[in-house]
Parts: sequence; structure tokens; C-alpha cells
Amino acid sequence: MKSWRMKDIVVMAALAVVFGIVYLLFLPVNVVMMGLIGPIGTDIIFGVWFLVSIVAAYIIQKPGVALVSETIAGVVEVLIGSSVGPIIILSAIVQGLGAEAAFAITRYRSYHVLVLMGAGVGAAITSFIWGYFRGGFVALDPSYVVLMLIVRIISGAVISGLIGKAISEALAKTGTLTSFPLGKMYRQRKAG
Amino acid sequence: MHNINPSIKAGTVTIAAIVIAFLFDPLALLLYIGWTIAITLLFGRVPIRKYLLYLLPFTMFAIGMLVSTLLFAKTPENPSVTQQFLFWELPKETVQDALALAIRVFSYSTLSLLFVLTTDKVAFILSLIQQCRVSPKLAYGILAGYRFLPLLKDELTTIRSAHLIRGAKTNTSRFSRYKQYTIPLLASAIRKAERTAIAMESKGFTGERDRTFYRTYHTNWIDWIFAIVMLGAIILCIIVSKSFQ
Repeated sequence: MKSWRMKDIVVMAALAVVFGIVYLLFLPVNVVMMGLIGPIGTDIIFGVWFLVSIVAAYIIQKPGVALVSETIAGVVEVLIGSSVGPIIILSAIVQGLGAEAAFAITRYRSYHVLVLMGAGVGAAITSFIWGYFRGGFVALDPSYVVLMLIVRIISGAVISGLIGKAISEALAKTGTLTSFPLGKMYRQRKAG
Repeated sequence: MHNINPSIKAGTVTIAAIVIAFLFDPLALLLYIGWTIAITLLFGRVPIRKYLLYLLPFTMFAIGMLVSTLLFAKTPENPSVTQQFLFWELPKETVQDALALAIRVFSYSTLSLLFVLTTDKVAFILSLIQQCRVSPKLAYGILAGYRFLPLLKDELTTIRSAHLIRGAKTNTSRFSRYKQYTIPLLASAIRKAERTAIAMESKGFTGERDRTFYRTYHTNWIDWIFAIVMLGAIILCIIVSKSFQ
């Protein structure tokens, strides 16, 4: 955290605000999905809620970014007036830890697509364990719970890993990220 | 209620939610829901109409939870023991599990509303610095980012007009429209964030802990009484519920 510049923090917060809104917009979608196909509907779109971790970590590429950006997104959701309340900050921390773990394993050196997908999977797993206790999945059929976990892992890998990567790279293309590692990576790739 | 230290309020609500996660007794949960709503309305000076409006989406969420648990419940151990639920004859275990779950979701909502409806957002962040030792650099960064919220709406209008004036297709599908707006919106948010960070630093913001505050927050005995009463009520609800069984 010592190596963070003010710029990193405010950019992280700005990303968290945008994604915080996206997160809130997806809550009603979640209710509809759940109503239509049951609890597993949530898991199909769950990857959306890890997006900011992957995008911010990929752009800033410093230790702690995945965890803190997700946490800020949680705080922003509370500030906007999320209905879920301060508990959502805890959920965010749990998800952020899962994503952070994937980057920590590579010692923050690799931001390969597999690592980004791994971060989505990590967040999916930790969030599932958290949800197991909070949401009372105990009451559901065990085989159904396993299916939910698998769907959520795929969602984490595809939605947050792949789409997160696509969003970050589209941003790099606009030239706004020149003072961040991802922007530099993009320029080098273009030059070389 | 509005004067209770925001950090303590947030902590209390969070701890209460964690305790509730391990509580499966529907009656105790119902009692606690009643308690939370009463506290919010009586001490929070929240108009009932506003409260009900906020509660509506959660009620829908809780009902969704109820229906889906009924449909996807695990096979009960005694399927022959059934219970009338509205129009259907369902295994008693399933009905009880589903009800407990829906009630639990509902009790989270009432706890959240207790916090959200009685807390000033900026006060919450400032109190996080002063009571929870959150780094000022981080906290003021968050506040700065939070200030972008109303600006984003203007930005969206600008992007839309820019697209119109240059003759970009606007009658595209919903999905490609999202793509069309998200990237420019994020790009401008990042540019704005960079400028803000530079402005903060050029005005002498160092992010050190030994700064002074215009608005200070303290904790006093009322805050702790609130925490103890809110958490103690859970135990009380369990005891009362047990005595009925």
C-alpha cells in the first residue's frame, strides 16, 4: 500500500464508483434471474460483481489493488444507498481477497489472461463459501449446490476474467492509461 | 439515531448480521425484525412511507428467495410429514427451511435500512478515518471518487450528444449501446481522477495521519449502549422464542 500514488487511489475510486453503479443495476437483474430459474440464476451473472477487481488490478498492477478496489466498490454501494447495507462491504472484502490471491500467487508479475481468469475463479470460490453461510445454501440439495458452485466459477472466469480484460484493453486503446502499467504495456506492444 | 457514531453503527449492524447468519429459528428472527423496524422508526425519525418504499425491493427479493428454496430444496428426511402452505401440500421440513431463509434475508434488509436511512455518507467516511484508523489517503480518495457520481450523469449526456452530432448510430441494440457508452465513460472518469489527484497533491494533501479535521467525530457512552442494546436484543429474541416452544 506504501507504493500507491494518490493517482492510483483516486483512479481506483473512480472505477469503483462506475462499477458500483453497475453492481447496483445488476441487483434487480439478479432478482429476475432468481425468480426465473432459481438460486442458480444468481450464479450465472455473479462474475459481474468481481469486475472492478480484475479491471483495476490489470490497469494499476500493484499489490492490494484487487482487494481494495472491490472494497471501495462495496463502500460506494453503501454510499449510494444500497439496500444491502454495510454488510456488503464484508462481502466485497471476501470477493476481493479471492481475486487478490490469484495475483499474489504470481507475485504481481504476470497479468496473463489465465491469471485474470484465475482471479475471477478465486473471487467466485471465496464468495461462494461466504454465501454458503450467509445465504443458507445448507437448505438446498447438495448436488444442486455443487452445480451452483461450478456455474459461478465459470461465470467468474468468463464474465470478470475475459470481459474485464476486454474492458481494460479497450481503455488502454483510448490512450487514457499512459501513466499506468497497462497503458505502457499497450504502447510497447504497439511499438514493438 | 442520527447522532450515533457511524463507525460503531456500521460495526453493530455488521456483527448483528453475522450472528443472524447462524440463527435458524424463524420466530426469533421475526421478533428481531420487529425490534429493528421499531428502533429505526422511533429513534431514526424516518417517515413510514419512505421506509416502506425502501423496503419494497427487499420484500420482493425475500419472496423470490422463498419461492426458489421451495422449488429447489433438498430431499427432506420425512417427506410424509406435510404441511399446508397456501394451496399446496408440501413437506414440513422444506416449508420451514424456506420460510427461515426468506425471513433471514428480510432481517438483513431491515438492519441495512437502519444504517442507510440514518447515516450521513460523508460522516461515515470521516468517522472511518478518525475511529477505525483508515488511511486518510485512501478515505479522501474514496470521497473524491464519490463526488464523480453526479458528474457521471452529465458526462453521459455529453457522450450521447457527441455521438449524435457526429452521426453515430443511436438506434443500435441495447447491448452495443452499453459498449458504446461504457468505454468513453470510464475513460473520462479516469482522466478526471488523475486531474483530481494532482489537484489534491498540489494543494498540499499528503495523506499523512497527523492531519487536523474540520469535523471531528468521537465515541461516547450512548454509542456503546446502542451497540450493546442492539446485540443484546438478539439474545433476548432467542430466549423469548424458546419460551414459546
